[in-house]
Amino acid sequence: MLVLSFAFCYLAMVCLALAMSRQHKLVFSGAPSESRSRLLRIGAVLAMAVGLALAMVQLGGEIGGVIWLCQLMLAGLLLVALLAWKARWVLPLVAVLPVTGGLLALV
Amino acid sequence: MSLRQSMAGLHTWGGLLPSWLLFVIFFAGSIACFDKELERWMRPAVHEPAGHSLSLDQVRDILLAKAPDAHAIWIRPPSEREPFFWAGYEPADESEFVRLALDPATGEVMPETVGGLFFFTLHYDLNAGMIGMYIVAIAAMFMLVALISGIIIHRRIFKDFFTLRPDANGQRAWLDAHNLFGVVGLPFHLLIAYTGLAIFVVFYMPAAIQQAYKGNAEEFFRDVMGAYEREDVKRPAPPAASLDALVAEAHRHWGGNETGWLSVHHPGDEAAVVDIRRYNRSQIVDFQWTLSFDAASGELLHEQKPYSAGYASYAWLTNLHMAQFGGQIVRALYLLLGLMGCAMLVSGLQVWLRKREARGGYGIGLVRALNGAVVGGLPVASLALLYGNRLIPADMAARGSAETWVFVGAWLLVAVWAVLRRNSGKVARDVLLALAVLALGLPLLNALVTPQGSLLTTLGRGDWDLAGIDLVLLFSGVVCALAARRLSLPQVEKAPRRRRLVEESA
Repeated sequence: MLVLSFAFCYLAMVCLALAMSRQHKLVFSGAPSESRSRLLRIGAVLAMAVGLALAMVQLGGEIGGVIWLCQLMLAGLLLVALLAWKARWVLPLVAVLPVTGGLLALV
Repeated sequence: MSLRQSMAGLHTWGGLLPSWLLFVIFFAGSIACFDKELERWMRPAVHEPAGHSLSLDQVRDILLAKAPDAHAIWIRPPSEREPFFWAGYEPADESEFVRLALDPATGEVMPETVGGLFFFTLHYDLNAGMIGMYIVAIAAMFMLVALISGIIIHRRIFKDFFTLRPDANGQRAWLDAHNLFGVVGLPFHLLIAYTGLAIFVVFYMPAAIQQAYKGNAEEFFRDVMGAYEREDVKRPAPPAASLDALVAEAHRHWGGNETGWLSVHHPGDEAAVVDIRRYNRSQIVDFQWTLSFDAASGELLHEQKPYSAGYASYAWLTNLHMAQFGGQIVRALYLLLGLMGCAMLVSGLQVWLRKREARGGYGIGLVRALNGAVVGGLPVASLALLYGNRLIPADMAARGSAETWVFVGAWLLVAVWAVLRRNSGKVARDVLLALAVLALGLPLLNALVTPQGSLLTTLGRGDWDLAGIDLVLLFSGVVCALAARRLSLPQVEKAPRRRRLVEESA
């Protein structure tokens, strides 16, 4: 469940980054349109909320909240490292992380 | 001077001066997340899971045989992370608290070691007692100042949130990294600096308590925690009730079976009191629910009331800092975020250095020397301490201080090296190389000296707490080796990005 929550934290960070023109140019070609940016930001907020909810379901509001905040910071760090050195991996990881998390949650 | 300019000066100098100290505090604190695992790693006697044949009554007898007239004796039963008895007593002559670790199977005192506790103490008082605590507090204040001034001077804080340009020129790349670690980790940095100060606030700002309690701070703590105390009556004690029976009684009372520290105050006196504390890590606030019994009759004298709102919020803040809740996952996250704090400090130091290397300035040599001495020396010394732990004979007298000397000696060695070679530009490579050799060699030494704790054995029995330490050592060794190799390759002057693109397309 926590891996899944981390996956959503990462997704939120990716959405936030792609809503900015420099990062968007790095991953796709060209800057995002204004409506796309707004959509991505809304998506980021939603993903953050889902990540928080998952962590809280797993470990309760208090400890789940702390873990979620820690995961959010580390997800940001991971994303920036990828953007700097391996920009091609940014999007595949958006898919790989939740699948791994989902499988681990099922096991 | 505008606010931003004055804050920039404050950030540069107020950040630089305490940063070596802060590096020590951050690094030791990050390691201290796993202090209990390290403690066990450093005590080969408890590597193998053993049955606990010792009863609490036997431990009490061992302690009273050593100190029949002790003020108080303390016992901590084995727990999952620390599978052995901690036992200790406050001597009658009011000298320092004596702390012993007992082998759970035999009851023998285990060979002395500074243990994982070393890093924990280094983190909050630099192993220098009260003065060290004040130094750490001042560094923490500086940290808060540097964080706030950093926020003020970082004008593109949202625009540059995800920006890291490793290919840019030296200063730019380090500044990106410094901003990144600082901004992305900001919630953690603020929390850790603030709560770190809050923990010892009664030592830093004692005036109110001193005034209200007429200088008796202990009474203040008894009041806010709802603890119980009974004066001694100077009459010899009747035969004591069984501690094991009292603990069973306490477990029935609170419906759990984890026991924290238990203590017997003035054990030789008729008014002796047994305090039994609950050990509960299911919440951030660990309400200890102390039950006080009469040591002879076993009568329940007092039950601790839940913390009042004030003390509960204090406990919440301090426990948020100490990460003793939520299990290994929280400790692992804190470790990573703590290392991110170290990275923020190191990149900040690099920014200072690169800027002045480019335009010239004074103090460059000193900063370089201190960088090598502290940032390089501390990790090397920490590894050396673990080597000392395995190589110093188990029956040596004052073994703990011998280990400390290994730590200090290794650190001094690196410091001298870093000062002598400060302008060679090779110190970072040398230190990384030394770290790689030390970190990769340690699991090997561990396997040779203590076969029951070798990586293969611990992996075989699924003992992840011990195996994790060896695995982390191997991983850091490989990372350091790769980094050292990268630094020793001939440095190619990087062409600016645009020109490279033109050349490639031509």
